[in-house]
Amino acid sequence: MKKFLLPLLFLFLFILESLYVQYVPVEILGRNSIVTPHFLFAALLFLTIYVGKKQGIIYAAIFGLLFDIVYIEVIGIYLFLYPFICYLVSKIMHIMQTNIVIAFLVSLLGIALLEVGVYEMDYLIHVTNLDFMSFINLRFYPTLIINAIFITIAGYPFKRLFEKHAEALRAD
Amino acid sequence: MPQFFLNKRLIILLVSIIVLVALIGFSLRERSKLSWPEQFVKDTTGWVQSLVSKPTNFVAGFFENLQDLTNTYDENKELKSRIENLASLEAQVQELKKDNKELRDVLDEKKTLRDFEPLPATVIGRNPDRWHEMIIIDKGKLNGVKKNMAVVTASGLIGKVKNVTQFSSTVQLMSSMDPKNRISAIIQGETPVYGLVEGYDKEKKLLIVKAIPSGAKIEKDQTVITSGLGGIFPKALMIGKVVEVKQDQYGLNQTALVKPGADFYDIQNVIVTKTNMIPVDAAETTDGKEEES
Repeated sequence: MKKFLLPLLFLFLFILESLYVQYVPVEILGRNSIVTPHFLFAALLFLTIYVGKKQGIIYAAIFGLLFDIVYIEVIGIYLFLYPFICYLVSKIMHIMQTNIVIAFLVSLLGIALLEVGVYEMDYLIHVTNLDFMSFINLRFYPTLIINAIFITIAGYPFKRLFEKHAEALRAD
Repeated sequence: MPQFFLNKRLIILLVSIIVLVALIGFSLRERSKLSWPEQFVKDTTGWVQSLVSKPTNFVAGFFENLQDLTNTYDENKELKSRIENLASLEAQVQELKKDNKELRDVLDEKKTLRDFEPLPATVIGRNPDRWHEMIIIDKGKLNGVKKNMAVVTASGLIGKVKNVTQFSSTVQLMSSMDPKNRISAIIQGETPVYGLVEGYDKEKKLLIVKAIPSGAKIEKDQTVITSGLGGIFPKALMIGKVVEVKQDQYGLNQTALVKPGADFYDIQNVIVTKTNMIPVDAAETTDGKEEES
């Protein structure tokens, strides 16, 4: 059972993101805002911070691929960006000490990087023609606010869970 | 220089960028259907999603019903006033229908562009990154859904089927940007005016109808429907209402901004329109650019 706990958690978050956009009204933060949930990615970043680089990148690649196939239908965007940002975060954590506030800030930074990265890629392949400043106002700030709220709520349970998982890994 | 190439991380990064570009190129090219691993993954997750989304749909519906209860009195009043006109309207419709059928029999025209077979479906997922606006529905190839079929809600057209797998399919909403996604439309004035729905203004939340002849008179609040030309979308599906008309860049055409009839953000149940005018297979083999123009 314990073995399947992490994949099940990520799968749940994967579906939760889709449910979020389906049921939560889009104008939750005012008329001109588009909010993108990155709950799954926040959990992946916490996994990278608390368990380790290798685990984090493997899970990020698997769920990035799943995300691309199921939701985006353009394979490569999240498959590349999820593991890449997890790697960057693990590099940052080398020079920081691991506590919950630092984890919160670093994963928020990771989500910001992801949002900008996805925007740049979609701009490159002509999925969007939004200019950068309207992107920042329309999507970037609202997305960061909602995800910050999510991390404040779910950050501590994630930390407990992943620390336990890391201990179990060390015991093996 | 040799040391530069020996750097393992750099090589991994370069290789992964090459793989990334190859994969994006592979998935962006015009594909008539998805490769089988993709179909398999989509079907499996579609099954899990429908397991989760059916109960949530039920719960959300319950709360919506509660909300509806609060406005019951006002709604009832308005509906009562409307129902008085309904009886006479119904008689008229009957008469017109009969007329239409008789005239068609005289002309020996059995099929119209209007005909379609409705297939109700439930939304089981939606793309969380709101760049590619797509929803996933629970009807697939086994239910007779085919690529490029129009998808509507009770209040209007929302998009077309982008990809089909065995048990589920993805619908590309009209609010997503795709230069290949053009829909021939009629603006219903005194004389019908033809135009093409091309794109969506994300900030104003309005559809953009282009290529309207410059002489045509268009006013606010005129209804826009699909024309059925192109043979893939049926005729007379509601698109929206005109909000604003402006001259094109060079003054040759007009552009209308249209408020969509359907809400693109609150979609739970949809109807897939199965046309039987021409086999959709035949259209599938043509280049995607001409499919809906």
